[in-house]
Amino acid sequence: MSYKSFKISNGADGIFVENTRFNTTVISLNFYLPLTAETVAENALLPYVLTSCSADYRDYSELNLKLNMLYGADIAVNVEKSRDVQHIKIAISVINDEFSLGGESVISEAMDLILSLVFNPVIENGALSAADTEREKRKLLEHIAGEINDKRAFAKNRLMAVMFDNSPYGISKYGTYEAAERITPAALYEAWLRMLTTAYVRVQVIGKALPDGLFESVAARLKNHERKDITDYTFCSPVEARADVKKVTEHYDVAQGKLVMGFSSEVHGEDAFALTVMADIFGGGPYSHLFENVREKMSLCYYCSASAVRSKGLMLVQSGVEADNARKAEKEILNQLELIRQGKFSDFAFNASVKAITGSLKSYNDSLYALDKWYSSVIMSDELKTPERAAEQIRSITRRDIINVANGIKLNTVYKLMPKGEGKQ
Amino acid sequence: MRTETFYNNVLKESYTVTELSNGLKVYICEKPEFNSVYAVYGTKYGSIDSCFTVNGKEISVPDGIAHFLEHKLFESEDGDAFSKYSATGAYANAFTSFDRTCYIFSCTERFYENLDILLSFVQNPYFTAETVKKEQGIIGQEIRMYDDSPNWCVLFGMLEAMYHNNPVKIDIAGTVDSIAEIDDKVLYTCYNTFYNPSNMFICIAGNVNTAEVLDKINAGVKQTPPIDLKRADFSEPKDVVKGYTEKQLEVSLPLFCYGYKQDVSGGDPTFREMIAMNAFIKLLADDASPLYKRLTDSGLINDEFDAEYFTGRSFAAVIFEGESNNPQAVADEIAAEIEGIKQNGIDKRLFESVKRDMYGQAVKRYNSVDNIALMLVDSAVFGYNYSDELDIIKNLTEADILSLLDVFDKDKSVLSVINKKVQ
Repeated sequence: MSYKSFKISNGADGIFVENTRFNTTVISLNFYLPLTAETVAENALLPYVLTSCSADYRDYSELNLKLNMLYGADIAVNVEKSRDVQHIKIAISVINDEFSLGGESVISEAMDLILSLVFNPVIENGALSAADTEREKRKLLEHIAGEINDKRAFAKNRLMAVMFDNSPYGISKYGTYEAAERITPAALYEAWLRMLTTAYVRVQVIGKALPDGLFESVAARLKNHERKDITDYTFCSPVEARADVKKVTEHYDVAQGKLVMGFSSEVHGEDAFALTVMADIFGGGPYSHLFENVREKMSLCYYCSASAVRSKGLMLVQSGVEADNARKAEKEILNQLELIRQGKFSDFAFNASVKAITGSLKSYNDSLYALDKWYSSVIMSDELKTPERAAEQIRSITRRDIINVANGIKLNTVYKLMPKGEGKQ
Repeated sequence: MRTETFYNNVLKESYTVTELSNGLKVYICEKPEFNSVYAVYGTKYGSIDSCFTVNGKEISVPDGIAHFLEHKLFESEDGDAFSKYSATGAYANAFTSFDRTCYIFSCTERFYENLDILLSFVQNPYFTAETVKKEQGIIGQEIRMYDDSPNWCVLFGMLEAMYHNNPVKIDIAGTVDSIAEIDDKVLYTCYNTFYNPSNMFICIAGNVNTAEVLDKINAGVKQTPPIDLKRADFSEPKDVVKGYTEKQLEVSLPLFCYGYKQDVSGGDPTFREMIAMNAFIKLLADDASPLYKRLTDSGLINDEFDAEYFTGRSFAAVIFEGESNNPQAVADEIAAEIEGIKQNGIDKRLFESVKRDMYGQAVKRYNSVDNIALMLVDSAVFGYNYSDELDIIKNLTEADILSLLDVFDKDKSVLSVINKKVQ
């Protein structure tokens, strides 16, 4: 897979990944901002307001009608914590021109539309539109409050909040309910200006052809803003080991309990692939220790899995268990980790894990979204890391690397979400 | 062996359907430019098939058995299929829905080895009293997990209130009590009934050669003779059990599911009717629709709002779902919007945009081998001919839409609500 990179302006890069197998092209505008308690909620709300209307499309029904007419062009917003920065993605995907019924260029219309949404919002007296802000704010607040509906994700968020209690990384990616409630149209306008002046910007196109003038148009629009204090989007502080394990149990009206464990690792960074493989052997696929033992042999749960965040040197274990079995599961999870530390994992599991991860990386080229996500996650350098390059690095990992990584893993925090009136320990 | 090819001239895509001598149907779409292959081995057997007559004998089995069987089939005498896939690096999964069970793998290499694994474990059941017992613990936890899922509970609340007899109202996984009744013998009965090649299909999309794949499948499948299977007639009345139902769970805002029951006693919807109904649903609830704007601007819905045509063998309903501080008001607005269409017809500009949107979605489906394979599964289960899809969408008329208005009878609607638990 080939890619080309372009310098758009100060702190702004463009990437074009040519891929002819899709009937669609994706254009994504990615903004990276510092992750701070004061700004996370504003930054999270901003893309939703921006993509609901613009000075050219004042009404969201009209905007959605326009998207339908562009053959179901899809605008997607994604807000993530990535390393120690907040990553805001605003993307549009649209069918290639060859499929339009009247021979019109839908890709150039889609490009104009997304540029209008991001760079030309409705501005009223030094503020974003009050009605649009209020509507999107209500939806965001309901979304934050609704996180409790998905108990698995909720328990993971609670673990992160407990584990990173003194750092912004512990804040939910949409911010707190209270912070979101305080957002005003004027504050959002400031957030918009801050994004255009200080965010590191990456514009990506995945598809058949680069739309004419896209990078030039972004450059021209960024010129209207004084680009300064550009965010260091590579910034990342690793999880620190804790002397005493932090344990928190909370009780809710649920049938099944959730157990989430957070670990620190001595290795971290974009290239810490050994951590990814180690977590996968431990609790990734059906060949993993947690699947084979905690689920299959002990029949304790439907899911018990491990995952890693390489950049932070973080490993998480998540499981849904009966309250009475939580302690048993926790003990067995740590027991299985100990076996990996001692090198007591099979060649079969090691090879299966490497194959599964490299196979998955190879399949990224078959998905527009996987490619867009991948390229917006890698750090810009002379040679941008491709999924193929990452797969090569993973294939060079040895059993010794896995043992070394496992020995640097330390339990940091245990969070339990338990049914009320049961399982109190 | 008979092969038929279905062409889509606009997209320059095609797929083949081949019926093997044992009755198994094989659907293949070649996508040589992709790295991956997505393969599905499925049976037209799901949670609703709990009563049936085979070779003249009437049989009734515990709820949740199709899903239980899906879990158990991965195990063979010589180890489980997951381990075998682990050795090749394939991703494997399976799912059971109301009317089908599907076994899936996707891979970027060693396709034929993976195909062998798939053919082997699906055709060679191995159930013992001991392995059945172990699975009861795991599935018991899966059921408990869904007990905490408000989205799941609000849907089944609606289905229970909508259907008198059709087992679509029963949880796909059954209950902790019903799965306790399952043993190895009844698993074999269900397997031998529904995993007959004449009731099954294989769907593959990706970087493969059709002739080679067919040879391999032909060589790898058993020549099991067809059986005489009759599925139960649910004699489902046209009306609903009750129009409103509610339950309490740990949620922030109330969740709702508002559905209109469709009478399908005359047969399941055709491909054209399915597409027309999807267009109707978009006219009603798409984010460009006036209803969506009214509900959003009055604070009654948020981004969780969605509408779908819920269909399968023997059942169909139009469902609106979401979160709201006033679900009854949302249901009333939906009913009022339908009444408006009955009086004034449909908005022509919106209709044109909906058709464009659906055309684009059909084009986009070919971006992914996963989506193509699952499209072929729908084709296998319902007999849909996807090469007609773009033409049907382009030629959809206002009359096609208005002919479906009868489905939206308020007396045959159900509002299901999950309220916040009162402490």
